[in-house]
Amino acid sequence: MKTGIFICHCGHNIKHTVDVKKLSEYFKKIPNVTVSKDYVFVCSEPGQDMIKDAIEKEGLDRVIIASCTPSLHGPMFKDVLRKSNLNPFLLRRVSIREHCAWVGNDVEANTEKAKRLILAGLYSSAHYVPLEEKIVDVQKSALVVGGGVSGLSAAIFLSKMGMHVYLVEKEAALGGHVRILKDVWPAGRDGKGIVEEMAGELEKQENVEIFTSTTITNFEGFFGNYEATLKTPEGEKRLTVGGAVLAIGFSPFDPGIKPELQYGKDKRIITTLEFENNSDTLRLPEKPRVAILHCVGSRDEQIGKPYCSRVCCVNALRVGNALKDKHKESYVESFYMDVRAHPKGGEEFFEDTQEKGVLFTRANVGEIIPTPSGVVIRGEDTLFGETFEREFDLVVLSIGMSSPKDCKLIANTFKIALDKDNFFMEAHIKLRPFDTAVKGIFIAGSCSGPKDVEESINHGRASAVKLFGLLNLGYTYVEPFISYVDPKRCSGCRMCEHACFSNAIKYDEEKRVVHVEEAACMGCGLCNATCPSSAISLRGYIDPMIDDEISGFTEAI
Amino acid sequence: MAEETSKKNPEIVGFCCSYCTFKASEMAGSLRMKYPEGVKVIEVPCSSRVDPAFIIKAIVEGADGVFVSGCHPGDCHFIKGNFYTRRKIAALKEMFDALSMKDRLRLFWVSASEARRFIDKVTSFYNYIKEKNDEREKA
Repeated sequence: MKTGIFICHCGHNIKHTVDVKKLSEYFKKIPNVTVSKDYVFVCSEPGQDMIKDAIEKEGLDRVIIASCTPSLHGPMFKDVLRKSNLNPFLLRRVSIREHCAWVGNDVEANTEKAKRLILAGLYSSAHYVPLEEKIVDVQKSALVVGGGVSGLSAAIFLSKMGMHVYLVEKEAALGGHVRILKDVWPAGRDGKGIVEEMAGELEKQENVEIFTSTTITNFEGFFGNYEATLKTPEGEKRLTVGGAVLAIGFSPFDPGIKPELQYGKDKRIITTLEFENNSDTLRLPEKPRVAILHCVGSRDEQIGKPYCSRVCCVNALRVGNALKDKHKESYVESFYMDVRAHPKGGEEFFEDTQEKGVLFTRANVGEIIPTPSGVVIRGEDTLFGETFEREFDLVVLSIGMSSPKDCKLIANTFKIALDKDNFFMEAHIKLRPFDTAVKGIFIAGSCSGPKDVEESINHGRASAVKLFGLLNLGYTYVEPFISYVDPKRCSGCRMCEHACFSNAIKYDEEKRVVHVEEAACMGCGLCNATCPSSAISLRGYIDPMIDDEISGFTEAI
Repeated sequence: MAEETSKKNPEIVGFCCSYCTFKASEMAGSLRMKYPEGVKVIEVPCSSRVDPAFIIKAIVEGADGVFVSGCHPGDCHFIKGNFYTRRKIAALKEMFDALSMKDRLRLFWVSASEARRFIDKVTSFYNYIKEKNDEREKA
């Protein structure tokens, strides 16, 4: 074995707390080490050439680069090996910057630590074998879960870009919550019109299949070739799709969770949604007294909903506005914590509503008491610090958005994470807001947090574009770090099969041994740690590699 | 002299999941946070990859303490790998208890963003082991 060790100074970053010269001299004496060099910037052009030269001249078959952390410059150093006709998986990176030079000040102790770290890398790399990244074809089809506005917009965009789209909706009709809205702010169009226009546009596309009254019972496989099982009214249906967009929306908050609001016990206490749908049939006196409660089911730690639902302030303003338009003489009072009319034009709408005569009282409402003459609201005015008690003919609760009812089921089916409020979690809130941790599965709309109609539509489009980018490539690389079985050692105890949570291990009844379905293996290595006969190993992290890495650390103790 | 110092300063081997704790340790390095040189980490794809045999090997070969660290429960990249780790380490601790070396093994959860928590956890473990070693030496 011919190993080349390249120790980076990283300018002064490593050099000033690690004695790199001493290290490179030390490793020259170690058996199996052909080249041991230190250089000011191994990642620089001359540094890369130095590695290339050493591989070609000395015929190295292992390369150890002791420098920054492996996640930095990884692909670049792999390319250096590739260009020198050496398998890139024979490269070992040892982090002596983030894990040594930067975390300690003592030069002697740091040099000793760096020595052990490189030694561990050296011992471990002796077990490396050349590996190949596999290229797998990708299905140019997508599953869109949820037929609300975000799901519809994702499906429209994906189909227009040439992907075959399967849209699944659990209700009988497409459109989700927007369908029942009478007046979508700010354009003033009715929700049904919007969704029907979108659905019409989608149905015109040839490469779209829409399944209504359908749920998803199973989803397995890997990016590029996911297998989905649908439960349609006609029976079970199996699909193969490249990726998926999840747009399952939200559930309106149920005010019954807060008993002090008396919701459901009195007809005069309704939600904003009910007001919107029944505003024509509401029986109100000539000069109605109406209270609007903001933040019902939002910003409320006690019921576990600390987040702002973002849409309900505008909804509350719309109720006040509509009442003032219809009943000029009405007394409308809004009880708010803060008015967050954030969408475009929201602040102007807030001022407009104030000008129309809706009163805004910053208050904590403590109790709602229905009496025969009216509904009494008791609370505390938080600006004046006084308690109040007032009687109204109608109380409208501006309800927030809760996580979708099926969130846990869908999250389990698609193996994605939920955040603390049970919405779907983004891979990174700023850099990857549409991605999940699972490749090829994207989230759109309010299933990842409250959003208004405009945002949901845009979110759907963005997820569609992101998924298209992955699918259109037509192929994907599969990491070679997956498990493999030595059938001679396998005793057929099937412990690994029970441990594996991606169902990648299958038992062969005839041969009485297990085998790994490479495409399904996620590469966690649990099976390797579970196997009592050491028959199953995880490539790249096999037992002797880790064993010898430990030896590198502990040898000199 | 060298032997004496290595006797006094504990050697800690840590197994860190590549998705969470190893990322946190990288971040701790980038932020120039300090922790004792005796702490050395091994990257594993998932904390569930850690075979109890590795831990035993490290201790047999002279490590004063071993820690295993992964993503917080429920946050595992592999869905539930860390639940297996939790059970495995609990069983191993029972074994270690019989040999009165339960306190030489620790399991904790550090997510990728919790560099500060990583430092706190490893430093407190290191100090604890050091204290125990000093006590033993005095006795």
